[in-house]
Amino acid sequence: MNYPIWQVPAPGLVIALVSIAHVFISHFAVGGGLFLVLTERRARQRNDALLLAYVRRLSRFFLLLTLVFGAVTGVGIWFAIGLVHPQATSSLINTFVWGWAIEWTMFITEIVAAMVYYYGWDRLPARTHLTVGWIYFITAWGSLAVITGILTYMMTPGGWLTERSFWSGFLNETYLPSLVMRTFVCVGLAGVYALLAASWSGDPRLKSKVARYAGLGWVLPMAVVVPLSLIWYLAAAAGAGIPAAEILGADGTGLPAILKALFTADGTTGHPVAQRAALTTIVAATGVILMTLFLVARRRRNYGPIFTGLLTFLALVAMGGGEWMRADLRKPYVIGGFMFVNGVRLPPPAGAIRAPADIQVNDPYALDVLRRDGMLAHARWSQVQPAAEAAALEEPEARAEALFRTGRELFKLACTKCHTTDGYQGIRPLVAGRSTSGLQTILGHLARPVNREGRETGWDDPDLRLATWRGRRMPPFPGNQAEQYALAVYLSRLGGDDRAGFERQQAHGSPAAGPGSGREETP
Amino acid sequence: MNGFPLSPVPFPDPVPQPAPAWILWGLLVFTFMLHLLAMNFVVGGSVIGAVTARLGRRAGRPHHMALVRWLTDAMPIALAATITFGVAPLLFLQVLYGRLFFTSSVLMGWFWFAVVPLVMVAYYGTYLLAFKSASLGHWGSWIRWLTIFIFLVIGFIFANNMSLMLRPDLFRAIYADGGTAHGNFGDPTLWPRYLHLMLAAVAIGGMWVSGYGLICRPRRPEFGEWAMRYGARWFSGVTAVNLFMGFWFLFSLPGETMARFMGPVPVATFVLGLGIFAGMTTMTLMFLAANAPRPSPLVGCGIGGLLVTVVCMVLVRDQVRRGALATMNFEPVQWVEPQWFNIILFLVLLVAGTLTVVWMVRALVLAGRPGTEDGPVP
Ligand code: HEM
Repeated sequence: MNYPIWQVPAPGLVIALVSIAHVFISHFAVGGGLFLVLTERRARQRNDALLLAYVRRLSRFFLLLTLVFGAVTGVGIWFAIGLVHPQATSSLINTFVWGWAIEWTMFITEIVAAMVYYYGWDRLPARTHLTVGWIYFITAWGSLAVITGILTYMMTPGGWLTERSFWSGFLNETYLPSLVMRTFVCVGLAGVYALLAASWSGDPRLKSKVARYAGLGWVLPMAVVVPLSLIWYLAAAAGAGIPAAEILGADGTGLPAILKALFTADGTTGHPVAQRAALTTIVAATGVILMTLFLVARRRRNYGPIFTGLLTFLALVAMGGGEWMRADLRKPYVIGGFMFVNGVRLPPPAGAIRAPADIQVNDPYALDVLRRDGMLAHARWSQVQPAAEAAALEEPEARAEALFRTGRELFKLACTKCHTTDGYQGIRPLVAGRSTSGLQTILGHLARPVNREGRETGWDDPDLRLATWRGRRMPPFPGNQAEQYALAVYLSRLGGDDRAGFERQQAHGSPAAGPGSGREETP
Repeated sequence: MNGFPLSPVPFPDPVPQPAPAWILWGLLVFTFMLHLLAMNFVVGGSVIGAVTARLGRRAGRPHHMALVRWLTDAMPIALAATITFGVAPLLFLQVLYGRLFFTSSVLMGWFWFAVVPLVMVAYYGTYLLAFKSASLGHWGSWIRWLTIFIFLVIGFIFANNMSLMLRPDLFRAIYADGGTAHGNFGDPTLWPRYLHLMLAAVAIGGMWVSGYGLICRPRRPEFGEWAMRYGARWFSGVTAVNLFMGFWFLFSLPGETMARFMGPVPVATFVLGLGIFAGMTTMTLMFLAANAPRPSPLVGCGIGGLLVTVVCMVLVRDQVRRGALATMNFEPVQWVEPQWFNIILFLVLLVAGTLTVVWMVRALVLAGRPGTEDGPVP
């Protein structure tokens, strides 16, 4: 509402595509760095020319993949989030610019180290070359350690919500489990990559060496510890108020409960997208484990690029699913407890740090303000009739038409960050056949503020949880009553009711009082 | 219709700005300058490289080919530097002027996003040329021109966004137009701004060539002197044309902004005056260097003059932005709570990182080329 909307359908997919590519490459860039130095050291210690030549070839591909694809997709995430979520990006950059600046110092060092490592194979003494390799790995991991703080903050902002300080947001509840898990993932991916690279070689001795070394030493151990750290992570998230179990449709966050839920989920409760993503991850990760075992046990000397290519693809799918699930655990927030995906903010919790008294800080995009004034009063870029005016038109046809248009604009403002009309998370099938008044009721119940015990509370409760309609992880409707009605008219028209908006609004859903009118006022 | 009672400039976030504006601004200007110098190598170096490769096809021009080889080999590194030094100003720009920058980016949509795949394709192109040019045959020159074209397009996209973010008065009309990709084509400053920047890039690419000649001279005197003169010719010739572009840009600016340079804002007047003076001096020095029997001292002074010019011109560009911000009554954020600890941590790590980089590069340079007697051969 504050920023114009980039009107591509399901813009979140643009972010998802860029970031999954980036996450895959960047984790691999960290683990690969470790793999290169450790393997170079091993080859030099054992005077193993075969292995040394292999690491060396690996390093060129590594340079091309991480420096170019990794770095540019990283920049791509900036471009994508700025286009799709300008409101959230602006908030993040104001909070964490020094985190990113610190990461940037590591990024420079990392890039130079990668280049010097590559160009230095014939030029640097062995010890210096290894040191440069270590510098690469340490700075690459340092970048990961910084970015993880910001990423986990977006889901579990920790003490930041009230303290508004960098470190209370950075060192949040899921930071440590997430960093540990990501580090393990890096190591596992490096092993996958080593296998992929060895599969191009025609030398069975090298293949078998790498299969044992990378397959048994790098991939399989990680296949065990990554799921364990995932459980730790989910438990930490649940402790921080993320209804992880509910979202996955499970009874708890233990592995058996989650597995059971995922394999029996029918999509009627929880968040189906997250469930599908989690299931994909589990299936793909199992595939990675089985394929690696098979490779080590049966095909050690003659595995080819097709086999390892499939293995890499499965690893990518497993990771992509994991990232997708993480993004969905965060829903309906873009920044947990602070900002919803559509850019609407919660009022600051009771006791939060505020600006000094002489500085006036207004927030027209806070939920309470929008519910009071209506979204359109603050929608800088909208050019439609206010909902109340549209509803007051005398002539039924003109009224229905005006309500439809206003509703369509409201849909754009409040819903299109996630929903399309007919495509990804399409809304039409979801509203098919529903009446305007039924939809009004649903809109009033999308999300309600409850406390830890599940009792109704205010939006500024520092211990806020969301009770969402059928566990669907939706944000609350952020407009006034008239707007809720206009949106309901639009949606029921989409759902096939051509007469929506023709009848004058009944007392049932009148702008003054209606279902879901829970105008939770906050001080 | 509610007739837009609201300003087209978005509302600031209800979170504090994490540093005083002057620190963010200083870092923005400084890191942008680094970005500019690297970008000039990329744009100017590849234009000069392609032209030189053509000229060098005639027999008996080994210097041309040696220069092309160097430009080609260094290009991936220069591009990495351009990107890396581009990230930092992007951060600080978003903190200081995010309200304008995000808005203009969203309006540009796909056009803006296109930078990402374009950089990627061009990047692989430069690596292909650096690693495989022998086996590329005549495809090599196609790839060369393709990467140049892409660089010029990327620069154009940036010029669109940097000029559009200064025109909130255009935002509404562009948004009302619908669609998911737009440029700032209606703005009279767009073309002079862009052409001025790109010609400067080619000129400064020439200065990079002269600088390289200066470095090479002790070991390869003949090539070194040739490269200095050759680069000097590029610099002085292109800059002579670019002076006109600069004035075109100046006169295309909106009246109030242009007026800043004519006295009422002393800083603006000073940096523009000094910039023009330094630029013309540098041009003269390089013109002389292009024809001098011993160009080294002239090139050395020229590099100094150029650095003064670049600093001034970056500040002129900043004054253009300040003029636009003043016209639109852009309010800086009031609530500032500096994260001093993080700022210091950043500076410490920046120094540590720089020292590490220097150490690594020094080790590589001191080790010499493979196969020469001063480099170890494993
Ligand atoms: C080959 C690649 C690139 C070229 C040719 C290029 C060219 C340019 C040009 C011509 C400008 C000035 C535009 C104007 O003021 O009208 C500019 C500004 C800028 N560029 Fe780049 N750029 C490249 C890559 C990048 C990348 C990858 C990034 C970010 C990650 C970046 C970040 C920036 C920023 C932030 C500015 C504006 C700084 C300011 O306004 O203070 N550039 N670039």
